[in-house]
Order: sequence, then C-alpha cells, then structure tokens
Amino acid sequence: MIEFRDVHKWFGDLHVLKGINLHVAPGEVLVVCGPSGSGKSTLIRTINRLETIQKGELIVDGMKVHDPRTPMTKLRAEIGFVFQQFNLYPHMTALENVTLAPIKVRRIPRREAEEQGKEVLAKVGLADKLYQYPAQLSGGQQQRVAIARGLCMRPKIMLFDEPTSALDPEMINEVLEVMRALAHEGMTMIVVTHEMGFAREVAHRVAFMDYGELIEIAPPEEFFARPRSERTRHFLSKILTH
Amino acid sequence: MWGVYLEQLLQSLPFFLQGLWMTIAVSGLSLMAGTAVGFLWGILRSSRRRVAKALIGAWVDVIRGTPFLVQIFVLFFILPEFGVHLEAFPAAVLALSNLAACFICEIVSAGIESVPHGQREAAVASGLNGYQQLRHVILPQALRVMLPPLVGQYVLLIKDSSVVSAIGVVDVTRVGWLTVQRIPQGILVFGLVGLLYFAICYPLIQLSNALEKRLGRSARR
Repeated sequence: MIEFRDVHKWFGDLHVLKGINLHVAPGEVLVVCGPSGSGKSTLIRTINRLETIQKGELIVDGMKVHDPRTPMTKLRAEIGFVFQQFNLYPHMTALENVTLAPIKVRRIPRREAEEQGKEVLAKVGLADKLYQYPAQLSGGQQQRVAIARGLCMRPKIMLFDEPTSALDPEMINEVLEVMRALAHEGMTMIVVTHEMGFAREVAHRVAFMDYGELIEIAPPEEFFARPRSERTRHFLSKILTH
Repeated sequence: MWGVYLEQLLQSLPFFLQGLWMTIAVSGLSLMAGTAVGFLWGILRSSRRRVAKALIGAWVDVIRGTPFLVQIFVLFFILPEFGVHLEAFPAAVLALSNLAACFICEIVSAGIESVPHGQREAAVASGLNGYQQLRHVILPQALRVMLPPLVGQYVLLIKDSSVVSAIGVVDVTRVGWLTVQRIPQGILVFGLVGLLYFAICYPLIQLSNALEKRLGRSARR
C-alpha cells in the first residue's frame, strides 16, 4: 500500500530523510516515534506530497509519488491527513468542514454528503455539534472533527501527525479512542505519536526514527521488550519513565 | 452680499450635480475595474508564479512611488507622442483603475498571507485543487481581514479622482474651478465641492467602521 525505497529529502543543506526503506501493508497500523527533529513528521508528509522527496522512490496505492508528473489531487483524496494543530476551517461549521471535500472533490450531491457527514460525526461522538464552529469546540472535539473530515472522503489510508500533542491531557483519550476504533475496522494507518500506550495496544509495528533514519522497526511486544538499538533503548528510557 | 453669491451658486447647482455625476462615473468604473484586476494581481502575487510575482511587484512599486498627477499626465500627454491617443475620460478611468488595482493588490495579497499556512495544507491534503483551495478556504478567511481596508481604500480613491480634473474631465473639482471664476467666493464654492465629496465618502467610512467592528467580532467567535 505504501512503499518507500531509499527515500532521501533535504531542507537546504539539512539531510532530513536519509535513505528510508519501509513497506506498509493494507490494514496495517504503524506507529512512528522518535525525538523532535528526527524527521518523523516529514516522513508522513511525503506520503501525500505535502513535502517532495529528492531521491528514491515512493509508491502509494500504486501511484508514483516521487514522480513530479503524477497528479496528486486524486491520490490525496484517498489519504486522510490529521494535523497536530487540527487546521479546521474556522469559517465553517463542523458539518461544513467534513462535507467540503466530498462535495467538491468527490462530487457527491450535497444532501448525500451531509447525511454521511452526520453519520461520521456521530461515530466520533459529535452528533450534537454539527452546527458548531471550531472555536466553539474544545481541542479534543476539534481533533475529532478533523479525523471525521478525513474519514468522510472514505480514504484508503489515514495519516496522523502527532494528533494529541496539542491537546490538554484530559482530552487525549477521547481522540485515541476514535483512532483505536478506526484501527480495529482495518484502516491502514501511520501514526506519529509519543503515546506509547496506544502503540503497545493498537500498532502492528512500531518504528523508531532518529536523525532522519529508521533505526528500528518491530512489532510492539518485541519493540518495547527487546529494543535492539542503543538509541532506541535510550529514547524509550526517557519517555517511559514517567 | 453673500446672499447674492449663494443665489448664484444655487443657480449653478445643476452644473455641480453634473460634475458630481462625472466624479461618480469615473470613480465607480475605476473601482470596479481596479477591484477585479487588483484581486487577480493580489492572488498571483501571493502564489508561487515567480515571473508574475516579480512583474506585478515592480509595477505596484512604480505606481505607488509616483504621484497620481504625474501618471495621468504621462497617459494623457506623453502617450500621444507614441501614437496612442486617449480621450480625457477613458484616460482618467484607465489611470485611476490602475492606481486602484495597485493598492487593492497589496490589500488582497496581505489578506491572503494573513491566513495561517495550515489552512492551505489542510485544503491541499483533502484533495481540493488550487482554485477550490482559494475559493472555499483561503479567500473567505482573507476577505474578513481585507474588507475594512478595502472600503477605506475606496474612499481614498474617490478623493484621488479629483486629480482627473487636471486633464479636463469635468468632475466636481473641475466644476469648482470653473465656477469660482464667475463667483469669486472660494470658500463657498469649494465648500460645496468638499461637501459633495463628503456626501459620497461618509457612508463608505461608516461602512468600513461597521465592517471592522462586525468582522472583528466574528473572528473572535
């Protein structure tokens, strides 16, 4: 479903992805962790070409993302992206936020899109917030609208870029709950997060990134019990002690 | 003695209204054309099209850095040397439209740039094409920032339109010049001229203030 072959990216002189090789199968849930600046956000942002890569091959859903001639709007419609800062459209209600792309990109009739939007918002626990504007919602509610916005496109892949990092602690769980349900439905997901409880419980594999390299990737039982690399052990000891 | 002048002035009122109509025609046409072109330039200027950006940026700087009176003289007196002859009215509308476009371009691109980058990313990520991103996500948010200064700019441009009297367009200001030669009471004549400008501009000033309050409030919603 997603295949990185020796993928490199530079920001100017800064080598942020150094030869990434990675294969994500349909239905797989991959959690990516690592220190800030390790390139993990950049990694998932390359998948729908929010960042372009300079070297290597990146195939997503059969499309060559590394090829600048590949039109991206069609592929982006198949990939839901959830941002750390939610990025909801502030001038639209929750329902308008989740129906915009289905109506404009998928060309679904408005009424049908709204039916589906209401359904999906109900699924993330926001049936009573359809006509609220983002500023009237809590952070956790906003992030759930953002997830619903992705889901309304009926995507094949969902990408999460630190979805709970901007949330107050008491709101983290309501968002993870939605993501957990999604994983159990068989959605292909890549989640950049430091929520190791979520990784242990939901992920099929956990990857550790540092300095633009994929240091280690393994099923969670193995990843947490017997990390092979010194750097992984060091990172885990720092974030698991509290 | 003022009574006599006042009566004379009252008799030339139709002349003033004609001038007022000309002022409204010149500024109305120019504001419409200037808004359309200014939006286009502003959008291009905040896009990634490098050549268009550089050209528009340079042109806006030239126009902002030279007096409107000089621009209109160039258009009206110097272009004919190169075989381009324009009547006073189209020359006036063209010059003022261009001036309007330049100022509005700045307002539009500042408005677009005020929209947080994450908004465009969200729109891109959901598969919207460039036009759809602009139409449904960026411009509605930019418009809130743009509207009060835009209406404020309209007021400035309507007042700047008085410069077109210099090439013989008979607008309110020109009517003032012509009238004061018959009625030597500058304070009366130009008082009336000022009053007529004020009558057009004041509602716009009020509108700009109201928009500022209203949009400021909804932005905090």
